[in-house]
Amino acid sequence: MPQNTVSVPAVKEIPELLAPLRERLLADLITLTQIPAPSGDEGKRVRFLLDRFIEAGLSDAGTDQIGNAIGRLRGRRHNRTILLAAHLDSVFPATENHQVTVDSEKVVGPGAGDNAMGAAGLSLLPAVLEHLGLELESDLILLGSVRSLGRGNHAGIRFFLDNCGQRIDCGICVEGMQLGRLNAFSIGTARADIICTIRPNNGSSRLYASESPLVVLNHVVQQILGIPLPTQPYTKIKLGRMHAGRYYDIEPERAELGLEIVSHSDDMVRQLCGQIADLVAESGARYAVDIQFDPFFTTAAAGIPFSHPLVKCVADVMNQLGIEADQTHYPSELCELLMRKIPAVTIGITRGVKNHPRDPDHVLIEPMLKGVAQLVGILLAIDEGRADESPAVAR
Amino acid sequence: MNLQQWLAERTFHHSNFWDIKWLVEQKERQGVTISLCLPTLNEEKTIGKEIVILKAELMDRYPLIDEIAVIDSGSTDRTCEIACAFGADVYVASEVLPELGVQRGKGENLWKALYLLKGDILVFVDADIGNIHPRFVYGLVGPLLQIPEVHYVKAFYDRPIVYSNVLRPTGGGRVTEILIRPLFSLFYPELTAILQPLSGEYAGRRSILEKIPFPVGYGVETAMLIDIHQKLGLTAFAQTDLDQRVHRNQETTALGRMAFGILQTVMNRLEREQKLRLLQELPTIMRQFEASDGTYRQLEFDIREVERPPMIEIEAYRAKFYSASVS
Repeated sequence: MPQNTVSVPAVKEIPELLAPLRERLLADLITLTQIPAPSGDEGKRVRFLLDRFIEAGLSDAGTDQIGNAIGRLRGRRHNRTILLAAHLDSVFPATENHQVTVDSEKVVGPGAGDNAMGAAGLSLLPAVLEHLGLELESDLILLGSVRSLGRGNHAGIRFFLDNCGQRIDCGICVEGMQLGRLNAFSIGTARADIICTIRPNNGSSRLYASESPLVVLNHVVQQILGIPLPTQPYTKIKLGRMHAGRYYDIEPERAELGLEIVSHSDDMVRQLCGQIADLVAESGARYAVDIQFDPFFTTAAAGIPFSHPLVKCVADVMNQLGIEADQTHYPSELCELLMRKIPAVTIGITRGVKNHPRDPDHVLIEPMLKGVAQLVGILLAIDEGRADESPAVAR
Repeated sequence: MNLQQWLAERTFHHSNFWDIKWLVEQKERQGVTISLCLPTLNEEKTIGKEIVILKAELMDRYPLIDEIAVIDSGSTDRTCEIACAFGADVYVASEVLPELGVQRGKGENLWKALYLLKGDILVFVDADIGNIHPRFVYGLVGPLLQIPEVHYVKAFYDRPIVYSNVLRPTGGGRVTEILIRPLFSLFYPELTAILQPLSGEYAGRRSILEKIPFPVGYGVETAMLIDIHQKLGLTAFAQTDLDQRVHRNQETTALGRMAFGILQTVMNRLEREQKLRLLQELPTIMRQFEASDGTYRQLEFDIREVERPPMIEIEAYRAKFYSASVS
C-alpha cells in the first residue's frame, strides 16, 4: 500500500484538490503547444519536459539515444514499474503559426489536444503527486516519446521498449483527448503512400504509351476499390488523401495517394498490402510511369480483454469521477505496448477538437483537472495491485 | 557614470536572471513585495494566456510576484471576464479614485495602479504580447533586486510584427526612430542609451514612481524616462533585452497620433525645464487626411496629453500608504 504523507484522497475529491495547480497545467499546455514539434524535430519539447522533471526533483531524467524524454520517479518498494507515455510530436510543420489563444473556456492552438495536452499531463504529474502528498510503492517511468506520428511510425516508443532493459508491468498512454477514451486494443494497421511520377526519357517528353500520373493513379484507385474485402475479420481500406497537379492545362508530373488499411487480422493487412503492391507495379508497367507503393507505418492487432483487471480498474476510476467510458478503438502508441504483451490502456485528459475544417484545434479547460485526477486515480489503483492479473487471465 | 559605462554595466539580457529561485531569495532577503500590472483595453485574445503563464510560473511555481492585477480602460470584449477567470485582480480604472475625475488612457491605468497595488516594486507589462514568457517579468525585476541603485528598468527587444500568419523578422519601433531618438539626441542625450524608450514593459520602485507625474495617454513612457532622469540621473536606470516580442502591428496613421501626444509631453517638459520657450499655447488638434474616390477628407483628432500629478500628492494615496505619518 502507498505510504503517503497525507491520507490517500477519495478519487472523486481529487479534481478539487488539484484546483491550485490549474494554471500550472495550463501554462505547461500553452508552452508545449507553442513549441513546434514536427516528427523528428521534437528537441525543444524534450528539453521542456526534462526541465520540468528536473525541477520536480526526479532522480533520473534524461534522453535515450533516439531522443525520448525519460524521467523516473522511484517508488517506495519498487515492486512494479508503471510506464506513462505521451508522444511529443505534432502533425503541424514548424512554419505554422503556433501562437496560442486562451479564453475562459478553452485553449486554442495547433496540436493543443494532440498531443500537447497529453504531454502537459505528464510534465505536471510529479508536481501533482507531491501536491497530493502521494508516494507510490511502484516505480514510475514518464516517457515523452519522439517520432510517433506519420513516418515516425512510433519509432520513439518502439526504441524505448526494445532498449529500456527493464520489465514494464503496466502502461498508460496519455493522449490529450478525448476524456473518457479507454482503449485497450489496437487494430492491425498499415499506412502507405502511392507515388506516381513521369518516367524520365532522356529529355524528350514522355515514353511511348505513357499516361499522366493523375490518370494512372485514378486507375489504381479503381482497382483498389475493386478488391473484395471480407466482412469477418473486420477489414477496411481508407483512401485518405490525394494530390496532383496545379494547372488546368498542364498534366502533372507527379501524383500521390495516401491510404490506410485496417483489420482485426494482421494477416489480412499483410495480404492487402501485397495485393496493392502488385497492382501498383502492374500499373507502372502498363502505363510506362514510375510508381511506388510505400507502406511506411504498420501496427499489429493486439489487446487485452475488457475483463482484464487493468481495464476494470480504469473503468472504475472513470465511473467514480463521473466520466463516461468510451471503449471503441482509436489509434495511438498503445499497440506498441500490447504487441509486447504489456497490459496497457490509452486515456484522454480533456475534450476538444482537432483537424476540423472550420473549427481550429482546441481543448476545453473545465474537464482538464478531472482528466488529471483520473490519471492519479488509475496510478493509485495500479499501485494497490488492483490491475494485477490473476493467473487465469491470459495476456 | 557616463553613457558608455552605463551601457556596459546596466544593459542586461533576460538570461542573466534565469535563476528565478535566486531572485525569490533576494526578494525575501530584501523584504520587498512585487506587483504586476497589466493595463488593458479590449485584449481578449492575449490576456488569458498572459495571466496563465505569468501566474503559473511567477506566483504558483516560484513566488516572485505577490499580486497580478488587470487595470482596464473599459473593454467592451471579454477581457475582464477572462482575466478574472484565471485569478487576476481586475479593476476598472474609471471606478478607482472617482473623486479625482475620469481620464482614459494607458497612463491613467498605470497611475491608478500605484494606488491599487501593494508592491514596493511595480512591473508593467502590456497585455497584447503574443509570445508571453516569464522573462518579460523576471528580466525586468532582476536588475532591481540585484542593484540597489537601480530604480527603473526598461525592456528592449527585437519586435517581429504579425502579418496574417507569417512572422516578419524585423520591424516596429518606428516612432522611436523617427521621433523619440531625434528628440532625445537634441535635448536629453543621455537618454538615447535607452534602446527602446517606448517599450510597454518596464518595472520601477514605488519610491520613485509615486513622485513623478503621469500623462494619461501616449506620453506616459516618455515622461517616465525624462522625469526619473531629472530626479535620479542615468544611474537609476537599467535595461534588459527580452529577445523577441510578438505584437499587433499599428497603422502609420495611428502612430502619427501617438507621436502627436508624445510631442506634447516632451514640449511640456522642455518648457518646464526652460530648455525651450513656447510663445503661444500649442494646439491639441492632430490633422490627418484620407483619400476616397479622388476626394480628400481632413480628419481631426483632439489629443490632449492630460497629466496626473505625482501620486504622492494625492491625499487618499498618502492615507493608504503612509497612514502612520498622516495620523
